[in-house]
Amino acid sequence: MQSFFYNKNNRLLLVLISSLLIFNIYNIISNTPMVPDQHWAQKIFYVHVPSAWVGFLSYLIVMIAGIMFFLKKNDYWDTVGLAAAEIGTLFIMLVLITGPIWATPIWGKPWIWEPRLTTTFILFLIYIGYFMIRSFGGHVERVKRYAAAIGIIAFLDVPIIFVSVQFWAPEIQSHPQVEMANQPSGILFPFLISLCIFTLVYFVMLKFRIHVIQLKNKVIYNV
Amino acid sequence: MFISLLKKELFIEFRSREVILSMLIFGLSIILAFAFTTNVSKIIVLNYAPGMFWIMILFVTTLGVHRSFTYEKNFDAFSLLISAPIDRGLIYLSKWISGTIFLTVMEIIIIIPFFKFLLLDLPSNFILFSVTSILINFAIMSVASLVAGISMRANLSEVLVPILFFPLVSPVIIAATKISSGVLFGDPYQLWQIWLLIIVSVIVIFPLAGYTLFDFITEE
Repeated sequence: MQSFFYNKNNRLLLVLISSLLIFNIYNIISNTPMVPDQHWAQKIFYVHVPSAWVGFLSYLIVMIAGIMFFLKKNDYWDTVGLAAAEIGTLFIMLVLITGPIWATPIWGKPWIWEPRLTTTFILFLIYIGYFMIRSFGGHVERVKRYAAAIGIIAFLDVPIIFVSVQFWAPEIQSHPQVEMANQPSGILFPFLISLCIFTLVYFVMLKFRIHVIQLKNKVIYNV
Repeated sequence: MFISLLKKELFIEFRSREVILSMLIFGLSIILAFAFTTNVSKIIVLNYAPGMFWIMILFVTTLGVHRSFTYEKNFDAFSLLISAPIDRGLIYLSKWISGTIFLTVMEIIIIIPFFKFLLLDLPSNFILFSVTSILINFAIMSVASLVAGISMRANLSEVLVPILFFPLVSPVIIAATKISSGVLFGDPYQLWQIWLLIIVSVIVIFPLAGYTLFDFITEE
């Protein structure tokens, strides 16, 4: 098995997503209007919301990979699940970092148990457990099944967590960006571009990580 | 077959009383800690009482469910159980129902010390409080049994159970506290019916997921 970047197409992909990421940062800084009451803090939403979208998409892929692993009994789906869980958690961490950075100047405090951020935080804690069982679980084949099961029940729990947190403290304000579709085009289009770029970056990262895990399994377990 | 598995769980517990007794003693110790750390007015304690009650239940459930699954590891009993020609999902269902029974028995015993040690009056609508608590027990145990079933044969299972269980059960704990507060303060049903729906949705989703997944989780 060769290195990921040995393949010419993968090298081109790397150049493409790097260029797109640089373009995205430039676009956010220079081509988006300044929102009067939020100033520079608002710009973080072009990163925060796409990160949340990619994080939850990734956890959906973990669930699908878990179901496929149980049905097909193929190690490839376990690899997809693990890769998606790792990258998903990376983006979820980004959400949990950028959320309080935005909230500090706008709401006056970094954390107010906003329903979406709270749901994200609970999901993040579940995935800490997921990685613990992956790392310390013991028997390799059993751990694959346990991890797949946790990936499935974690995502099944998301709507219940979200509804309960929302009703728990209804007076807490939601993101102002909830109605993203109603934003003026000057904000909406750069946001959609950022969303597409983040999604593309995610799939390239997933492809890369799957390759690395497969390479590692080949070296360690020779499978 | 489900009845036989449930009988097995109940007989083992009837003989050893390990799960209920350990949950009960641990619960009493938690009440003691609450009593020492909440030396404030009765009204303040009453406001926090539902939350404290369900925190206590959360801790004792972790202990009980872990005990209930780990004694299956003795003499490799679980391997024998899953090699039997039975639907493995039924093992989960029997653990869930028996766990709920143990938790309910433990709650019946501990409810009076809980209120009396915190110097509170017993709930005036005691029957409604009990009925809603039993429903919540079903929800808590459906999550706890699934988590314990997943992590039981993993290394560090005693650490993994609470780490996975607490965040997964958070919607149930929110709903449980809101329902118990509503009942305790005599709020109209309309104010806490949404929380009952959340509990019912957990009782439907988790046992279904557990029944389906247990067959895959326990594969050798």
